[in-house]
Amino acid sequence: MMPGVASASVPAAAERPDRAAMLLQVAGALLWLPQAGLIAFVIGRLADGGGIGDALLPAAGVLMLGVARSAFEAVGARKAFLAARASLSLRRQEAVAALAAGSPLDRARPASGLAASVVTEQAEALVPYLARFRPARFKATVVPLAILCAVAPLSWVAALVLLLAGPLIPVFMALIGWRAKAASEAQLAETGSLNAFLLDRLRGLATIRALDAVDATALRLRANADDLRARTMAVLRIAFLSSAVLELFSALGVAMVAVYVGFHLLDALPFGAWGERLSLSQGLFVLLLAPAFFEPLRELSSVWHDRASGQAAISALDGLSRGGLALVGGAGADGAAAVAEGGAVDLRIERLSFGHAGSDEAVLDGFNLKVAAGEHVALLGPSGSGKSTLLALVAGPAPADGGEIVVGGTRLDPASAASLRRRIAWIGQRPHLFAGTLAGNVALGREGLRADAVAHALRLASLDALAGARPDASIGEGGAGLSGGEGLRLALARGAANPHAGLILADEPTAHLDAATAREITERLLAFAAGRTLLVATHDPVLAACMHRVIRLDPERLEGAA
Amino acid sequence: MTGSFRHLRPVLAFFLLERRGALLGGALLAAVTVLAGVALLGLSGWFITATAIAGLSSATALAFDVFAPSAGIRLLALGRTASRYGERLVTHDATLRLLAGLRERLFRGWAGPGAARLLLLRPARLLFRLTADIDALDSLYLRVLVPMAAALVTAFVVVLTLVPLHPALGLGAGAWLLLAGIGLPVLGALLASNPARRRAHANEALRARAIDLVAGQTDLVMAGRLQAQGAAIAAADLRQAASDDALNRIETGIGIGFGLASALLLSGTLLAVAALAEAGLIGTPVAALGVLIALAALEPFAALRRGALELGRTLLAARRIGPRLAPAETAPTVVRPAEPLLAVRLSRVAVRHDGAGLPALAELSLSLRLGEVVAVVGPSGAGKSTLLSLIAGEIAPDQGHVEALPATLLTQRTELFQDSLRDNLRLADPAADDGRLLAALASAGLRGDVEALPEGLDARLGENALGLSGGQARRLTLARLILRDTPLWLLDEPTEGLDGATARDVMARLTACGEGRCVVIATHVRREAQAADRIVVMERGHVVSVARRGEAAFKAALAALRPD
Repeated sequence: MMPGVASASVPAAAERPDRAAMLLQVAGALLWLPQAGLIAFVIGRLADGGGIGDALLPAAGVLMLGVARSAFEAVGARKAFLAARASLSLRRQEAVAALAAGSPLDRARPASGLAASVVTEQAEALVPYLARFRPARFKATVVPLAILCAVAPLSWVAALVLLLAGPLIPVFMALIGWRAKAASEAQLAETGSLNAFLLDRLRGLATIRALDAVDATALRLRANADDLRARTMAVLRIAFLSSAVLELFSALGVAMVAVYVGFHLLDALPFGAWGERLSLSQGLFVLLLAPAFFEPLRELSSVWHDRASGQAAISALDGLSRGGLALVGGAGADGAAAVAEGGAVDLRIERLSFGHAGSDEAVLDGFNLKVAAGEHVALLGPSGSGKSTLLALVAGPAPADGGEIVVGGTRLDPASAASLRRRIAWIGQRPHLFAGTLAGNVALGREGLRADAVAHALRLASLDALAGARPDASIGEGGAGLSGGEGLRLALARGAANPHAGLILADEPTAHLDAATAREITERLLAFAAGRTLLVATHDPVLAACMHRVIRLDPERLEGAA
Repeated sequence: MTGSFRHLRPVLAFFLLERRGALLGGALLAAVTVLAGVALLGLSGWFITATAIAGLSSATALAFDVFAPSAGIRLLALGRTASRYGERLVTHDATLRLLAGLRERLFRGWAGPGAARLLLLRPARLLFRLTADIDALDSLYLRVLVPMAAALVTAFVVVLTLVPLHPALGLGAGAWLLLAGIGLPVLGALLASNPARRRAHANEALRARAIDLVAGQTDLVMAGRLQAQGAAIAAADLRQAASDDALNRIETGIGIGFGLASALLLSGTLLAVAALAEAGLIGTPVAALGVLIALAALEPFAALRRGALELGRTLLAARRIGPRLAPAETAPTVVRPAEPLLAVRLSRVAVRHDGAGLPALAELSLSLRLGEVVAVVGPSGAGKSTLLSLIAGEIAPDQGHVEALPATLLTQRTELFQDSLRDNLRLADPAADDGRLLAALASAGLRGDVEALPEGLDARLGENALGLSGGQARRLTLARLILRDTPLWLLDEPTEGLDGATARDVMARLTACGEGRCVVIATHVRREAQAADRIVVMERGHVVSVARRGEAAFKAALAALRPD
């Protein structure tokens, strides 16, 4: 992560630390002062010949204070957690809304796996950052000061020892923070790349087995992991060294306070207590406070890596929300008001232009097309000629750079996009398979879609036998459950399930199929298209021959087709 | 839950086998660190109290040996730092080594033929689970085993120190430590096991739905379901938040429990040493020592808190990963044909896939010779891919005999890996030098393209071979095939997805390089079958006909295939 990115990201209002939660945790930590006082008092009384009678009340006090202390800390931690978890949900919602509003044609948008990792796993780092790191940092600034204020009136030497060790610590903290951040980032990146290597090789396991390279790959995996380990350890050795300095200072601080107080009580070091001599109770009290002085600092250093990963999560989520090419109509309205009757609609495209961001070459430049209602038109051309892009622009998953699209007399714009889409049946080349049943994948949860419409669509696409054979079987998870032909049938059924459709957009519906299956899909598509307008992008001459009109697209550029 | 602990056994056995010394060393150093901390505080308390009493008169003050205890305090302070540093180095090194070993072992486990098929069937979720599971196992050593060892050693030493004061005090404190220190984390682990599992499932739902949103966005937009998908993601997040909340409640509860146990131990010890001091059984310095040890004794147990909460998830991971830690299954061995020019002989083989009604292959007999190109055609589901897997030895026949020469199977989806071009090629022949690699690239028609790259063979390929066109990627796999140099090539739709001109060039090179070998091509496209000497037509697991070039049936079989 670049240093500028984290600091540039201003936490949203919800991520402001919960003051009450932090104050409660600090109050809990400070309750140690009276507890330590009571313990020191009892030992002092014992030295003066006291007994159990002197210990009863203080012991009860220690217990009560201990109960109060854990209650304070628990309530504070809960409050901090709840606030942090709520802002995780909020952040996720924002990122999801931004992903939904982006266009699938945007080349700069993250792949689905990456986006899912950010939203799911990486975003989780927000919770420890907000719930653990922030309170720990607050504690580390307040508690040591309070303890110093308690020690100083008793012994300025002890206070000075703590003070000397104390201010040095921020210096080391900066060092540690810097190093620990580097270390945790290094380690994160290393394990990430190790996981990526493993996943990559497992994904291609069939190939590795076919090439008889299992052993070589396993050894390579091991060698990579060992190499990464060596490099990670080199970083960690330094990172741990600087945190060892913190440990050393805190241990030496305690030891020096103990030795000073001991020598002072022996009169070997008679100075340091504002001209008086410390009593045993006072000395013990000072000793008991010494480790508590360093404790918040050690706690802070142990959660330091939460900061790096939390800030990385924030900037990754912000990255998802960065707007690129937008969906026409956004993700705002799903289904507008009920659509009027079905029936064929005409399509008019005028002076349509589109180019990918960062690419000089326009995919479409001043493209014109008129399709009459009920007409069947094939766009014939090799891959890369812009057929799929044209279909996407008509349906509105991507905005055109210029020109006009009119469907059934309504101009496509953000306001009309959602209701226009209800009149369009989309038959994609690679339909995404959602986890769920085949019928569920056809219905896609569309409201007002009756079961008989789904059944009809399944029948039309010849999927009824398959759906009937395994009505409850899940077909999701990357499409292992369906063959290529079945996938195209599913796309057909999805489109056909929309009874209001007046315009059908089909993208390569017969690609990669054997002759018999391609013939059948063509028949089914034509059956569905009867009485509807059909625009099909293809490079299958057989399919194109079945259309009323064929438009050949220039591979260089789409222009001025009649 | 106790039943699921047995799933930990293979994982623990693997851990111990892999790095016994480092694991024990790390735990020992952790214990030394904790003990040094406890001793530092105890000794300091004793020292201050003893000096205070000695300091009451100047005679005793002078006689008091200050140097041994103060040197001890300094030694403990330095020793604690050193052992802490050592502990962190050793445990992290051991963890990284374990993860390295674990990944290798798991890879080998998944690379067995049966496991590999399973992986191919349900790829996305399984793969994601796998890495999540490996990461979850990570916490077993660092968050459970190491703190557990440190805590137990501490409890033991505390008992040893306090028993001389009074046996009842020592044993009582020890019993309390074990009861609260072990009991609370175990209770937490039991309570957390369900929410932890629910959380893992909510996580998977969240991830799957987020993938659906991005990958299936066009379908969702066209169905008007984009907003509904956003709501489904929010619902999964809500479920995760609910289990997060349950886990946090449990964590906070254990925290309160430790706070109370610690306060009780402290006040109890305070009362006990007061009574002992009153009875004259111990001196005040020893009393101070006892109280300060009690103060620090529960601290190492509190470190078990996080591991306990994650234990449910860890057990889930162990249950899923454990079976793959066993030594890998071996592929069925394929017998070589006895006759010299014979490449494959199948006699009356039958294959039935698990759970399928009809056999994938039935009563199938076929002989293939070296030097011939054979196309296997037939509709989807006819058994073409099964036939290739059977010849390659990927699956074993349920009936009949298979004899085949060593084969290379080029599957429909031949993967290129995120690695350098050189290492992608070397998978096929680890010993090949650059000269041999370039020669293979030349035969595949890719040498010019590679030499035009600024990094040449060092160029890295991205996800899904980003940066290579479909044709270039196919030529690269062809180069790999050439490097493999087996007498039998099995190709499943080798030009799928290529445009006509590229496809014909790839086919020409394939047949040229395949000269002298037996090349089997499973296909439904005419351009791939055209080069064949024989065409085998399959239907529902049977061979319907075999036609030789020149026969009328050969032409008929070709004509039934798809044109470009």
